[in-house]
Amino acid sequence: MNCKDLKTNFDDYVDETLEEGANARLQQHVATCDACQQLIDRERRLRSSMREYGDSSMPTPDATYFDRALIAAERQGIKQQHKRSWMTGFGSAVAAGLAIWLLSGVLIDAPNTGSVDSPIPMVTMALEEPRTVNLVFSSVIPLEGATLTLTLPDGIELAGFEGQRQVTWKTSLKEGKNLLPLRLIATMPTSGELLATLEHGEDDRTFRLQVNVI
Amino acid sequence: MDSTDKMKSTGFDQLLRPHMERLYRLAFRLAGNKAEAEDLFQDVLTKIYVRLDDLISIEEPGAWLSRVMYNHFIDNRRKYARQRLVMVEEGGLPGNTVESLPGDASPERDAERGDNIIRLEAALAELSDDHRLVVLLHDSEGYKLEEIQSITGDPVGTIKSRLHRARARLRDLLTNDGTFF
Repeated sequence: MNCKDLKTNFDDYVDETLEEGANARLQQHVATCDACQQLIDRERRLRSSMREYGDSSMPTPDATYFDRALIAAERQGIKQQHKRSWMTGFGSAVAAGLAIWLLSGVLIDAPNTGSVDSPIPMVTMALEEPRTVNLVFSSVIPLEGATLTLTLPDGIELAGFEGQRQVTWKTSLKEGKNLLPLRLIATMPTSGELLATLEHGEDDRTFRLQVNVI
Repeated sequence: MDSTDKMKSTGFDQLLRPHMERLYRLAFRLAGNKAEAEDLFQDVLTKIYVRLDDLISIEEPGAWLSRVMYNHFIDNRRKYARQRLVMVEEGGLPGNTVESLPGDASPERDAERGDNIIRLEAALAELSDDHRLVVLLHDSEGYKLEEIQSITGDPVGTIKSRLHRARARLRDLLTNDGTFF
Protein backbone atom coordinates (compact mmCIF):
# COMPACT_ATOMS: atom_id res chain seq x y z
CA MET A 1 0.00 0.00 0.00
CA ASN A 2 1.17 3.52 -0.77
CA CYS A 3 -0.03 7.14 -0.71
CA LYS A 4 -2.09 6.59 -3.86
CA ASP A 5 -3.93 3.70 -2.25
CA LEU A 6 -4.78 5.87 0.72
CA LYS A 7 -6.10 8.60 -1.57
CA THR A 8 -8.29 6.06 -3.38
CA ASN A 9 -9.71 4.66 -0.14
CA PHE A 10 -9.50 7.82 1.92
CA ASP A 11 -13.16 8.15 3.02
CA ASP A 12 -13.56 4.45 3.70
CA TYR A 13 -10.33 4.38 5.69
CA VAL A 14 -11.33 7.31 7.90
CA ASP A 15 -14.90 6.01 8.21
CA GLU A 16 -13.46 2.60 9.14
CA THR A 17 -15.62 0.88 6.55
CA LEU A 18 -12.78 -0.84 4.69
CA GLU A 19 -12.54 -4.61 4.89
CA GLU A 20 -10.14 -5.74 7.59
CA GLY A 21 -7.22 -6.80 5.41
CA ALA A 22 -7.11 -3.63 3.32
CA ASN A 23 -7.53 -1.53 6.43
CA ALA A 24 -4.56 -3.23 8.13
CA ARG A 25 -2.33 -2.77 5.08
CA LEU A 26 -3.20 0.93 4.86
CA GLN A 27 -2.55 1.32 8.57
CA GLN A 28 0.93 -0.05 8.04
CA HIS A 29 1.54 2.50 5.32
CA VAL A 30 0.16 5.44 7.30
CA ALA A 31 2.34 4.49 10.27
CA THR A 32 5.42 5.03 8.14
CA CYS A 33 4.25 8.03 6.08
CA ASP A 34 4.14 11.45 7.73
CA ALA A 35 2.28 13.06 4.82
CA CYS A 36 -0.52 10.51 4.95
CA GLN A 37 -0.63 10.64 8.74
CA GLN A 38 -1.04 14.41 8.52
CA LEU A 39 -3.93 14.03 6.05
CA ILE A 40 -5.62 11.52 8.32
CA ASP A 41 -5.21 13.74 11.38
CA ARG A 42 -6.63 16.71 9.54
CA GLU A 43 -9.58 14.66 8.34
CA ARG A 44 -10.27 13.37 11.84
CA ARG A 45 -10.28 16.95 13.12
CA LEU A 46 -12.80 17.82 10.42
CA ARG A 47 -15.02 14.87 11.35
CA SER A 48 -14.78 15.80 15.00
CA SER A 49 -15.76 19.38 14.20
CA MET A 50 -18.70 18.13 12.14
CA ARG A 51 -19.95 16.05 15.07
CA GLU A 52 -19.51 19.01 17.38
CA TYR A 53 -21.29 21.25 14.90
CA GLY A 54 -24.18 18.77 14.86
CA ASP A 55 -25.04 19.55 18.46
CA SER A 56 -23.83 23.12 18.77
CA SER A 57 -25.82 24.31 15.75
CA MET A 58 -29.01 22.53 16.76
CA PRO A 59 -31.60 24.71 18.49
CA THR A 60 -32.97 23.26 21.70
CA PRO A 61 -36.74 23.41 21.79
CA ASP A 62 -38.23 24.31 25.14
CA ALA A 63 -39.31 21.54 27.50
CA THR A 64 -42.96 21.54 26.46
CA TYR A 65 -42.42 21.99 22.73
CA PHE A 66 -42.87 18.33 21.76
CA ASP A 67 -46.00 18.00 23.91
CA ARG A 68 -47.48 21.09 22.35
CA ALA A 69 -46.54 19.94 18.85
CA LEU A 70 -48.25 16.58 19.38
CA ILE A 71 -51.42 18.19 20.70
CA ALA A 72 -51.50 20.66 17.81
CA ALA A 73 -50.95 17.84 15.31
CA GLU A 74 -53.81 15.84 16.80
CA ARG A 75 -56.15 18.82 16.65
CA GLN A 76 -55.21 19.67 13.09
CA GLY A 77 -55.24 16.00 12.08
CA ILE A 78 -58.73 15.42 13.47
CA LYS A 79 -59.97 18.48 11.60
CA GLN A 80 -58.37 17.31 8.38
CA GLN A 81 -59.75 13.79 8.75
CA HIS A 82 -63.27 15.00 9.34
CA LYS A 83 -62.95 17.30 6.39
CA ARG A 84 -61.53 14.50 4.24
CA SER A 85 -64.25 12.01 5.14
CA TRP A 86 -66.82 14.67 4.34
CA MET A 87 -65.12 15.48 1.08
CA THR A 88 -64.63 11.93 -0.16
CA GLY A 89 -67.91 10.45 1.01
CA PHE A 90 -70.30 9.97 -1.81
CA GLY A 91 -72.95 12.15 -0.29
CA SER A 92 -70.67 15.11 -0.13
CA ALA A 93 -69.13 14.32 -3.46
CA VAL A 94 -72.35 15.35 -5.03
CA ALA A 95 -73.76 17.30 -2.15
CA ALA A 96 -73.06 20.63 -3.72
CA GLY A 97 -76.00 19.30 -5.53
CA LEU A 98 -78.66 20.57 -7.61
CA ALA A 99 -79.23 23.91 -9.11
CA ILE A 100 -82.02 24.52 -11.50
CA TRP A 101 -82.11 26.82 -14.42
CA LEU A 102 -84.95 27.35 -16.82
CA LEU A 103 -84.24 27.31 -20.51
CA SER A 104 -83.86 31.05 -20.34
CA GLY A 105 -80.85 30.51 -18.15
CA VAL A 106 -82.31 32.31 -15.20
CA LEU A 107 -81.42 30.72 -11.92
CA ILE A 108 -84.69 30.14 -10.18
CA ASP A 109 -83.64 28.37 -7.06
CA ALA A 110 -80.73 27.65 -4.79
CA PRO A 111 -78.69 24.46 -4.54
CA ASN A 112 -80.43 21.70 -2.68
CA THR A 113 -78.93 18.79 -0.85
CA GLY A 114 -82.25 17.04 -0.49
CA SER A 115 -82.04 17.02 3.28
CA VAL A 116 -85.12 17.50 5.39
CA ASP A 117 -84.08 20.99 6.43
CA SER A 118 -83.20 22.25 2.97
CA PRO A 119 -85.86 24.01 0.96
CA ILE A 120 -86.85 22.00 -2.10
CA PRO A 121 -86.23 23.90 -5.30
CA MET A 122 -89.32 24.58 -7.33
CA VAL A 123 -90.19 25.04 -10.98
CA THR A 124 -93.48 26.21 -12.39
CA MET A 125 -94.60 25.01 -15.83
CA ALA A 126 -97.47 25.75 -18.16
CA LEU A 127 -99.62 22.91 -19.43
CA GLU A 128 -98.38 21.37 -22.69
CA GLU A 129 -95.58 23.86 -22.89
CA PRO A 130 -92.21 22.08 -22.99
CA ARG A 131 -89.54 23.49 -20.75
CA THR A 132 -85.95 22.51 -20.28
CA VAL A 133 -84.79 22.16 -16.73
CA ASN A 134 -81.05 21.84 -16.24
CA LEU A 135 -79.95 19.80 -13.30
CA VAL A 136 -76.41 20.55 -12.25
CA PHE A 137 -74.58 17.97 -10.18
CA SER A 138 -71.43 19.33 -8.66
CA SER A 139 -69.02 16.60 -7.71
CA VAL A 140 -65.69 17.11 -5.95
CA ILE A 141 -64.36 13.84 -7.33
CA PRO A 142 -64.91 11.94 -10.61
CA LEU A 143 -67.58 9.26 -10.24
CA GLU A 144 -67.39 6.42 -12.74
CA GLY A 145 -70.30 4.06 -13.30
CA ALA A 146 -72.95 5.96 -11.39
CA THR A 147 -76.64 5.23 -11.99
CA LEU A 148 -79.07 8.06 -12.36
CA THR A 149 -82.77 7.42 -11.94
CA LEU A 150 -85.40 10.02 -12.62
CA THR A 151 -88.79 9.48 -11.04
CA LEU A 152 -91.45 11.76 -12.50
CA PRO A 153 -94.67 12.85 -10.85
CA ASP A 154 -97.96 12.03 -12.55
CA GLY A 155 -98.70 14.42 -15.38
CA ILE A 156 -95.08 15.23 -16.14
CA GLU A 157 -93.34 13.56 -19.08
CA LEU A 158 -89.72 13.46 -20.08
CA ALA A 159 -89.35 14.18 -23.79
CA GLY A 160 -88.35 11.00 -25.60
CA PHE A 161 -89.60 8.82 -22.75
CA GLU A 162 -93.31 9.54 -22.93
CA GLY A 163 -95.46 7.40 -20.66
CA GLN A 164 -92.56 6.38 -18.40
CA ARG A 165 -92.70 7.38 -14.77
CA GLN A 166 -89.18 6.22 -14.16
CA VAL A 167 -86.13 6.50 -16.39
CA THR A 168 -82.74 5.00 -15.45
CA TRP A 169 -79.38 5.22 -17.11
CA LYS A 170 -75.72 4.71 -16.37
CA THR A 171 -73.52 7.76 -16.31
CA SER A 172 -70.23 9.10 -15.09
CA LEU A 173 -69.67 12.37 -13.34
CA LYS A 174 -66.56 14.32 -13.92
CA GLU A 175 -64.98 16.43 -11.23
CA GLY A 176 -66.78 19.75 -11.13
CA LYS A 177 -70.16 20.66 -12.54
CA ASN A 178 -72.10 18.12 -14.58
CA LEU A 179 -75.09 19.36 -16.49
CA LEU A 180 -78.14 17.21 -17.19
CA PRO A 181 -80.72 18.96 -19.38
CA LEU A 182 -84.24 17.54 -18.96
CA ARG A 183 -86.94 18.55 -21.44
CA LEU A 184 -90.18 18.22 -19.49
CA ILE A 185 -93.73 18.40 -20.71
CA ALA A 186 -96.74 18.82 -18.43
CA THR A 187 -99.70 16.77 -19.64
CA MET A 188 -102.14 17.67 -16.87
CA PRO A 189 -102.51 20.38 -14.21
CA THR A 190 -100.67 18.89 -11.31
CA SER A 191 -98.02 19.39 -8.71
CA GLY A 192 -95.55 16.86 -7.41
CA GLU A 193 -91.93 16.02 -6.83
CA LEU A 194 -89.44 14.99 -9.46
CA LEU A 195 -86.78 12.82 -7.90
CA ALA A 196 -83.27 12.44 -9.30
CA THR A 197 -81.48 9.59 -7.55
CA LEU A 198 -77.79 9.12 -8.09
CA GLU A 199 -76.32 5.80 -7.03
CA HIS A 200 -72.65 4.87 -6.87
CA GLY A 201 -71.59 1.58 -5.34
CA GLU A 202 -73.67 1.16 -2.25
CA ASP A 203 -74.28 4.83 -1.79
CA ASP A 204 -77.11 6.87 -3.13
CA ARG A 205 -78.34 10.39 -2.96
CA THR A 206 -81.69 11.79 -3.99
CA PHE A 207 -82.36 15.28 -5.16
CA ARG A 208 -85.90 16.65 -5.16
CA LEU A 209 -87.53 19.17 -7.43
CA GLN A 210 -91.03 20.49 -6.81
CA VAL A 211 -92.90 20.83 -10.11
CA ASN A 212 -96.06 22.92 -10.27
CA VAL A 213 -98.18 23.12 -13.41
CA ILE A 214 -100.48 26.03 -13.92
CA MET B 1 -62.86 14.60 20.56
CA ASP B 2 -64.89 11.36 20.37
CA SER B 3 -63.74 8.00 21.80
CA THR B 4 -62.13 6.90 18.53
CA ASP B 5 -60.20 10.14 18.38
CA LYS B 6 -59.08 9.67 22.01
CA MET B 7 -57.80 6.14 21.33
CA LYS B 8 -56.06 7.43 18.28
CA SER B 9 -54.54 10.28 20.21
CA THR B 10 -53.00 7.89 22.74
CA GLY B 11 -51.57 5.66 20.02
CA PHE B 12 -50.25 8.66 18.15
CA ASP B 13 -48.37 9.91 21.19
CA GLN B 14 -46.90 6.47 21.97
CA LEU B 15 -45.82 5.84 18.41
CA LEU B 16 -44.38 9.27 17.74
CA ARG B 17 -42.73 10.12 21.03
CA PRO B 18 -39.58 7.95 20.57
CA HIS B 19 -38.91 9.56 17.17
CA MET B 20 -39.63 13.18 17.95
CA GLU B 21 -36.11 14.39 18.62
CA ARG B 22 -34.63 12.73 15.55
CA LEU B 23 -37.46 14.08 13.40
CA TYR B 24 -36.98 17.54 14.82
CA ARG B 25 -33.27 17.43 14.04
CA LEU B 26 -34.01 16.26 10.50
CA ALA B 27 -36.47 19.13 10.07
CA PHE B 28 -33.77 21.55 11.14
CA ARG B 29 -31.21 20.03 8.78
CA LEU B 30 -33.67 20.27 5.91
CA ALA B 31 -35.07 23.72 6.57
CA GLY B 32 -31.87 25.28 7.86
CA ASN B 33 -33.39 27.54 10.49
CA LYS B 34 -35.49 27.11 13.59
CA ALA B 35 -38.67 28.91 12.55
CA GLU B 36 -39.08 27.02 9.31
CA ALA B 37 -37.93 23.76 10.84
CA GLU B 38 -40.71 24.06 13.39
CA ASP B 39 -43.27 24.82 10.68
CA LEU B 40 -42.07 21.78 8.77
CA PHE B 41 -42.05 19.62 11.91
CA GLN B 42 -45.60 20.64 12.82
CA ASP B 43 -46.96 20.13 9.31
CA VAL B 44 -45.42 16.68 9.11
CA LEU B 45 -46.75 15.63 12.51
CA THR B 46 -50.23 16.61 11.36
CA LYS B 47 -49.76 14.71 8.14
CA ILE B 48 -48.63 11.65 10.06
CA TYR B 49 -51.65 11.85 12.37
CA VAL B 50 -53.89 11.61 9.33
CA ARG B 51 -51.86 8.59 8.16
CA LEU B 52 -51.68 6.92 11.56
CA ASP B 53 -53.04 3.64 10.17
CA ASP B 54 -50.03 3.52 7.82
CA LEU B 55 -47.63 4.23 10.67
CA ILE B 56 -49.05 1.41 12.80
CA SER B 57 -48.39 -1.12 10.04
CA ILE B 58 -44.81 0.02 9.34
CA GLU B 59 -42.00 -2.21 10.58
CA GLU B 60 -39.40 0.55 10.76
CA PRO B 61 -41.35 3.66 11.71
CA GLY B 62 -38.23 5.79 12.14
CA ALA B 63 -37.18 5.45 8.52
CA TRP B 64 -40.74 5.87 7.30
CA LEU B 65 -41.25 9.03 9.35
CA SER B 66 -38.02 10.51 8.05
CA ARG B 67 -39.03 9.72 4.49
CA VAL B 68 -42.45 11.35 4.97
CA MET B 69 -40.70 14.44 6.29
CA TYR B 70 -38.18 14.56 3.45
CA ASN B 71 -40.86 14.10 0.78
CA HIS B 72 -43.05 16.74 2.38
CA PHE B 73 -40.12 19.13 2.47
CA ILE B 74 -39.26 18.49 -1.19
CA ASP B 75 -42.89 18.94 -2.26
CA ASN B 76 -43.13 22.20 -0.34
CA ARG B 77 -39.59 23.45 -0.74
CA ARG B 78 -40.71 26.96 -1.51
CA LYS B 79 -42.75 27.17 1.65
CA TYR B 80 -39.80 26.13 3.74
CA ALA B 81 -37.36 28.25 1.76
CA ARG B 82 -33.96 28.00 3.29
CA GLN B 83 -32.69 31.16 4.89
CA ARG B 84 -28.93 31.15 4.86
CA LEU B 85 -28.49 33.77 7.50
CA VAL B 86 -28.74 32.80 11.12
CA MET B 87 -31.86 34.41 12.46
CA VAL B 88 -31.41 36.88 15.27
CA GLU B 89 -33.55 35.07 17.81
CA GLU B 90 -31.60 31.86 17.26
CA GLY B 91 -28.38 33.48 18.35
CA GLY B 92 -29.66 33.56 21.90
CA LEU B 93 -30.89 30.01 22.03
CA PRO B 94 -29.33 27.61 24.49
CA GLY B 95 -27.06 25.22 22.67
CA ASN B 96 -26.69 27.53 19.75
CA THR B 97 -23.70 29.54 20.73
CA VAL B 98 -20.04 28.75 20.58
CA GLU B 99 -19.82 29.39 24.34
CA SER B 100 -21.98 26.36 24.90
CA LEU B 101 -19.56 23.98 23.25
CA PRO B 102 -18.77 21.17 25.67
CA GLY B 103 -16.05 21.93 28.16
CA ASP B 104 -12.37 22.37 27.73
CA ALA B 105 -10.22 23.73 30.50
CA SER B 106 -8.43 26.33 28.42
CA PRO B 107 -10.34 29.49 27.42
CA GLU B 108 -7.95 29.96 24.49
CA ARG B 109 -8.66 26.46 23.29
CA ASP B 110 -12.43 26.97 23.64
CA ALA B 111 -12.20 30.18 21.66
CA GLU B 112 -10.24 28.42 18.93
CA ARG B 113 -12.80 25.63 18.75
CA GLY B 114 -15.56 28.19 18.59
CA ASP B 115 -13.83 29.96 15.72
CA ASN B 116 -13.42 26.67 13.90
CA ILE B 117 -17.12 25.90 14.24
CA ILE B 118 -18.03 29.32 12.88
CA ARG B 119 -15.71 28.78 9.91
CA LEU B 120 -17.16 25.33 9.40
CA GLU B 121 -20.67 26.77 9.30
CA ALA B 122 -19.57 29.31 6.70
CA ALA B 123 -17.97 26.55 4.63
CA LEU B 124 -21.11 24.40 4.85
CA ALA B 125 -23.10 27.34 3.52
CA GLU B 126 -20.93 27.23 0.39
CA LEU B 127 -22.07 23.69 -0.48
CA SER B 128 -25.00 22.82 -2.71
CA ASP B 129 -28.20 21.81 -0.88
CA ASP B 130 -27.75 18.14 -1.79
CA HIS B 131 -24.13 18.00 -0.69
CA ARG B 132 -24.75 19.92 2.53
CA LEU B 133 -27.69 17.71 3.48
CA VAL B 134 -25.73 14.50 2.95
CA VAL B 135 -22.65 15.63 4.86
CA LEU B 136 -24.73 17.00 7.73
CA LEU B 137 -26.85 13.87 8.00
CA HIS B 138 -23.85 11.55 7.80
CA ASP B 139 -21.09 13.38 9.63
CA SER B 140 -23.08 15.54 12.06
CA GLU B 141 -26.21 13.51 12.72
CA GLY B 142 -24.66 10.07 12.44
CA TYR B 143 -26.93 8.65 9.74
CA LYS B 144 -25.60 5.65 7.85
CA LEU B 145 -25.49 5.75 4.05
CA GLU B 146 -28.35 3.24 3.87
CA GLU B 147 -30.44 5.37 6.21
CA ILE B 148 -29.93 8.39 3.98
CA GLN B 149 -30.89 6.25 1.01
CA SER B 150 -34.13 5.24 2.71
CA ILE B 151 -34.96 8.92 3.26
CA THR B 152 -34.02 10.47 -0.08
CA GLY B 153 -34.46 7.43 -2.31
CA ASP B 154 -31.11 8.10 -3.99
CA PRO B 155 -28.78 5.15 -4.64
CA VAL B 156 -26.05 4.60 -2.05
CA GLY B 157 -23.41 5.20 -4.73
CA THR B 158 -24.84 8.65 -5.44
CA ILE B 159 -24.97 9.49 -1.76
CA LYS B 160 -21.41 8.29 -1.24
CA SER B 161 -20.23 10.38 -4.16
CA ARG B 162 -21.99 13.47 -2.78
CA LEU B 163 -20.49 12.85 0.61
CA HIS B 164 -17.01 12.49 -0.88
CA ARG B 165 -17.38 15.72 -2.87
CA ALA B 166 -18.87 17.59 0.05
CA ARG B 167 -15.99 16.62 2.33
CA ALA B 168 -13.42 17.45 -0.33
CA ARG B 169 -14.98 20.88 -0.79
CA LEU B 170 -15.06 21.47 2.96
CA ARG B 171 -11.39 20.46 3.21
CA ASP B 172 -10.50 22.90 0.46
CA LEU B 173 -12.44 25.75 2.01
CA LEU B 174 -11.16 25.11 5.53
CA THR B 175 -7.58 24.56 4.45
CA ASN B 176 -7.59 27.75 2.41
CA ASP B 177 -8.83 29.83 5.33
CA GLY B 178 -6.31 28.24 7.69
CA THR B 179 -8.82 26.40 9.89
CA PHE B 180 -7.26 23.03 9.17
CA PHE B 181 -3.72 22.71 7.95
